[in-house]
This record gives sequence, C-alpha cells and structure tokens, in this order.
Amino acid sequence: MSMRARIIHRDDVLKIVDLLRRDREVIAAFLGRGRDSAFGVVTDENRDRVQIHVPNPHYPPKRYVFPHIERIMKLRGGNGEVRIEPTYDAPRRAIFGIRSCDVAGIWHLDRFFLGREFRDIYYQRHREALFLVNVVCTDPGCDIDEHCFCVCADTGPAARDHFDLQLMDLGGDEFMAVAGTPAGEAFLDEPIFRRGTAEHVERRRRILGEVRKHFKEMTTSWFSATVRYVSQGKILDKTWEEIGVRCLECGGCTYVCPACTCFTVRDRQVGPNEWERVRLWDACALGGFTRMAGGHNPRRAVHDRRNRRFFRKLAHYFIQRELTMACVGCGRCNAVCHGDIGMPSVVEMIRRATAPEDKMEPVEGTPAGSK
Amino acid sequence: MMRPEVAENVYLPRVAVLDRVVDEIQDVKTFYWHFEDPADREAFKSFRPGQFVQVTLFGAGEMPLSLPPSPTEGETFFTVRRVGSCTEALHGLRPGDKFGVRGPYGNGFPMGSFHGKNLVFVAGGIGLIPLRSCIVYALAHREKYRRIQIFLGARTPRDLMYRDKLLEWERSAGVECYLTVDRAEEGWAGNVGVVGSLFKKPGVEVPVEDTVAFVCGPPVMFRFVIRDLAGMGFSEESIISTLERYMKCGVGKCGHCCIGVAYVCVDGPVFSYRQIRKLGEDI
Ligand SMILES: Cc1cc2nc3c(=O)[nH]c(=O)nc-3n(C[C@H](O)[C@H](O)[C@H](O)COP(=O)(O)OP(=O)(O)OC[C@H]3O[C@@H](n4cnc5c(N)ncnc54)[C@H](O)[C@@H]3O)c2cc1C
Ligand code: SF4
Ligand code: FES
Repeated sequence: MSMRARIIHRDDVLKIVDLLRRDREVIAAFLGRGRDSAFGVVTDENRDRVQIHVPNPHYPPKRYVFPHIERIMKLRGGNGEVRIEPTYDAPRRAIFGIRSCDVAGIWHLDRFFLGREFRDIYYQRHREALFLVNVVCTDPGCDIDEHCFCVCADTGPAARDHFDLQLMDLGGDEFMAVAGTPAGEAFLDEPIFRRGTAEHVERRRRILGEVRKHFKEMTTSWFSATVRYVSQGKILDKTWEEIGVRCLECGGCTYVCPACTCFTVRDRQVGPNEWERVRLWDACALGGFTRMAGGHNPRRAVHDRRNRRFFRKLAHYFIQRELTMACVGCGRCNAVCHGDIGMPSVVEMIRRATAPEDKMEPVEGTPAGSK
Repeated sequence: MMRPEVAENVYLPRVAVLDRVVDEIQDVKTFYWHFEDPADREAFKSFRPGQFVQVTLFGAGEMPLSLPPSPTEGETFFTVRRVGSCTEALHGLRPGDKFGVRGPYGNGFPMGSFHGKNLVFVAGGIGLIPLRSCIVYALAHREKYRRIQIFLGARTPRDLMYRDKLLEWERSAGVECYLTVDRAEEGWAGNVGVVGSLFKKPGVEVPVEDTVAFVCGPPVMFRFVIRDLAGMGFSEESIISTLERYMKCGVGKCGHCCIGVAYVCVDGPVFSYRQIRKLGEDI
C-alpha cells in the first residue's frame, strides 16, 4: 500500500474536522429540508451534523476561492488627494467533503486564474489559504443523482489529484485516506490514522467499479465527439437555434457552475469621496454581457446561432488553452435549467443532430445511443 | 522588468495627473497626462502602438481607452468621445486632477513585421484614434516603410479628427492624406462621399502589392471598406483592424471581451481581417 494512504475508523472521521478547526475555518455541506443542502461554516453547534454522504449543494464551493461579491480595492479621490489601496480578505479555510467534480472545478479555476500571462492575486490568496478534503462519491442514494456525469467528464467519482486529503468510504467501519499534497501528508501523522493492507486497496478498487454502474447511462462517449463537432464548426445552425430558443437567459447555469469564471466590476460609494471597487459574478447568458457604446451589441445577431456558454466550454481551443475543460460534469446546470439545456442535455442534443451529418461517427447501435 | 508591487496585483491602477486638455471635434477631447510616480512613467515607456489602458475615474468607474500617442513621442494622452458616465467624468476633469491608469494591455500592431511595406490607413470618425499611434510610429521610422497613405472619412468637415496633425504629416513626412465627408458645409472644397469612394478618385493610386491596410471605424464603414479593399485585390491577411469590445478587466479574466475563440483584451485588440473572420462574429 502506498505511503500516502491510511485507514481511519468511521467514528474518527469527524475528528479531521476538529483538527482542521484548530487553525482554520472549516466549510462543510449541511442537509437542509428534503434533498436540499448548502455549504456552511462548521461551528460547535452544528459540528455533529456534518455528514460524509450528503447531496452536493447546488450553490458550488467556488465562492471560497472566487466569492460571489468581493471587494478588491478602496478608492479615495477628490481635493487633489487620492489613494488606491488593494484590499484582501482570504482567511485560512478548509472545505470538508468537497466532491471530486468540484475539486476538478477548482483545478480548472487554478488553470484559468493563475495560468497564462496575468495572475489573479485575489484568487491566488484564497486558493493558497484553502485545504481540500475530498470525499469520493460512493453512496448511490445520497452522493449521486440523475444529473451527475463526472464519469463522462473524467473527473470522478474519485478525484485523482488536486485535493489535499481524500476520504473514501470502504464500507463497514473503515475509510481510506489518501494525501494529495505535502500538507495532506503531514495530516496522516495524526494518531487517528493507521496503516492499511492490500485488502483495503482491493476493496477500494471493487467499490469504485460498483459505483460507476450507478451513473445514468448517457452521454459518456459523446463528450469528446461534441468537443470535436463544436471545434470544427460542425454544429448545424438549427441546433444552436434550438438551444438559443430554449435559453431563458436567467443565468442560473452560470450561477451554479463550479467552472464558470466571468465577472463584472463595479465601484460603489461608501462615503464622501470614497468608493470601493467590487467584483461580482457575471454570466455570458445575460443579455447585457457584451453590450457596447452606442447600443451596438455585436453578439445579439450571432448569439441566436451559437450559444456562448457552450461554445466557450466545449471548443477545443479553450480546452487546450487552459489544459482543462470548463465543465467538470457536476450536472448542476441540468438540475436548475428551466429550458432543459444543461450541459448533459446539450451534449445529447448536439449528438442527435450532428452525428447523422458526420460521416466519421456510427449512428446506430452505439452504447451511448440508447434512449 | 515590472516592479513587484505592480506585478503582484494586475487590477491595481496607478495614480495619474491631468496636464492639459485640448478640444478636438464635438464631444471629443484630448487629455494629456503623466503618472505621478516616476517609476510608473519609466515602466510605461515601452508600450506598443495599438495597445490600450484601463482608466479609473473616481466615482465613475473604469473603462478601456486606446493609446493614440506613439512610444516615440514624449507625451502620454488619450483622445476620448463623451458617451456615458466614465467618459463624462474624464471630460469634467481639470488640469491637476487625478485619476487611475493601469496597463498597457493588448497585443498592439506588429509594426516590425511591416518593414519594407506600403502602409494604407483607412479610418472613419474617431477610428483614427487607435491608428494615430502607428502613423506617428511609422513616421518616426520613415525609412523602414514605403508609401504611407491616410484615408479619413467623417460625417461633416467639423468631425474630421486630428486635422492639424494630418496637415503637418502631409507637409513634412511624405504622407498622402485624403479626406472625405458625408455632408459638405460652408468652405468645404474636398470630397463628399463614403471613405471608400476616395480609392477610385482620379489622382489617387492605392498600392496593393506589399501593402498593409489598417482599417478602423464604425461597423458599417468597416464592412464597406473591407469589400472595397477586397475588390482592389487586398488579401484577408493584409487588412488589419482593432476590435472594440465591452471590457471589464483588460487581462483575460472577466470574460466580457471574449468573442469566438479570442479574448480581445489579450489576444487583440489588433487582428487581421482573416482572424476576425475566423472568430466568426460580427465586427
Ligand atoms: C480597447 C478599447 C479601446 C478604446 N479606446 C477608446 C478611445 O481611445 N477613445 C474613446 O473615446 N473611446 C474608446 N473606447 C470606448 C470606451 O471604452 C467607451 O466609450 C467607454 O468605456 C464608455 O464608458 P462610459 O462610462 O462613458 O459609458 P457608460 O455610461 O458605461 O455607457 C455608455 C455607452 O458606452 C458603452 N460602454 C460602457 N462601457 C464600455 C466598455 N468598457 N467598452 C465599450 N463600450 C462600453 C455602454 O454600453 C453604453 O452604450 C475604447 C474601447 C475599447 C474596448
Ligand atoms: S457546465 Fe454544468 S455540468 Fe458542467 S461543471 Fe458547469 S454546472 Fe456542472
Ligand atoms: S476584458 Fe476581461 S477578459 Fe477581456
């Protein structure tokens, strides 16, 4: 068994939360009414309600590295005296129980905000202060729902990287803990962890094989084909139009997406001659997104043909640019979309419309072609 | 080399001071300014023609503005049309007033790769603003380029940008300038018609071989000029332009300027017409 893996007893798992709380704010998903769940700060009062298996909240954990609204600087002007002062607020944090898709989401954000020529210091500060405890989705009743498609996006059910610590329920009283970073590895020295055996590794493999069967059989092999269709401009105008017509431009999909990055910037007055500059999430699905001087909106005409959001997420060019795809298969957009054009549905729509036109693809009798 | 405190936070504007304001045409003024901190001034010297900056007006917000000066000139300035709250706030500033500037951003025109070529500038209205930088840059390296022509169109004679400058370039630097207006007025003896009509005027001879055409102006003008140039034999690669998109960050993060597979703020704003067509969106 690898040096970086340990076994921990079920009764001890929440002790990880306690250990983390010594010097960090710990975030976990809490069950609300019905299947609703939401991330919140672990306190002395709610600590015992932290669960390992819980439906993944719709409002993603992205906000702990890229807050919905964030003050980025203070501006003071007037009377010849001006000051421009950056403001940072990045507390030490851990997310306990982050799902593999969301770990991949954060990795995508890392690539986007920290990669390329400009580095985003606000994102960086949040990220460096963050410790991720990933939980592998193994409970079909709780962890996985009909919208999940991490298996197609190749991000789950068990993340391979980019977490500090990963926990997986091995059934019985045992969990396997795997360290993904030196910080996570240091954690494994705590006395609650013990060494595992080859049997544990075998059990992990078997459980993962079982879990994979619980994902709805759907777009699995079509994600890559869709990327190809989009990148090569093979999507028919009528397909883009159909997607466009169904889009109500509510922005819900971008709001719940762990991999969407768009923001806008506003200055708000906080005193005489004093303003603060805030940035807030924005959505390319909203009408005003590309509006320009003189009311000329360049996207309007073309938008009806090509959906900005799916193009941005599926075009090979961007995947190459960020080295990760801007969709991690969490299925949230499918769950919230009123027009049924979440990512899995769109992949399916594109496949149905494009495959018959595409001579490279067999149309009938493919495993994913059922339904 | 960028200084660490500036390199660390790409969103942080540096303090700039307004020196003087010059009227250009109606609602358009040129604002001469300098960075308060000499280190910022020094760092800024290496900007390229065609790049832009993000400008903060206290209380109004931040906006992208082109850099009409050439790095070969001693002064920094903007030429800005009043259209809304930020531009209005800039127009309201007086010499000595302060604002914020960060940048320069964007790819700029690859002036070095045009050595030995003819340069044809075609502008509509304030489209001449971003082109001014390359024109002055080319004139500062006059021997590197062959013929230089400027075609400028405007609604009325009073809307012709940088008119004194055009005269000066024409007189001193071997530049051919051709002007046209949509509507003539008292005292206008020049051409009347769209800018493309100038290409066919008697006495005008536009070189096509080994020529780069720079086209900037409103979308309608752009479409017509492209058609004219294509008809004259210009290839899609030999026509270049700058795209103007709604921008919030200037550094490839906010997503607002993203069109097709390009982020205009970092991949542009300068594109060849061939690239623009491949982006698959309207100008
Ligand atoms: C790369 C680039 C270079 C530019 N260079 C110049 C220049 O040299 N001179 C000049 O006069 N103008 C230039 N512009 C346009 C200038 O940025 C806008 O006129 C300005 O942002 C409008 O801001 P406002 O607050 O005055 O208007 P607002 O009150 O915000 O709105 C007025 C109108 O301007 C539009 N608008 C708002 N923000 C932007 C924006 N960021 N980009 C485009 N349109 C916007 C609005 O949609 C609205 O129609 C440039 C734009 C870009 C993208
Ligand atoms: S596009 Fe949809 S499925 Fe993909 S990561 Fe975003 S919300 Fe999840
Ligand atoms: S202006 Fe923000 S991404 Fe280009």
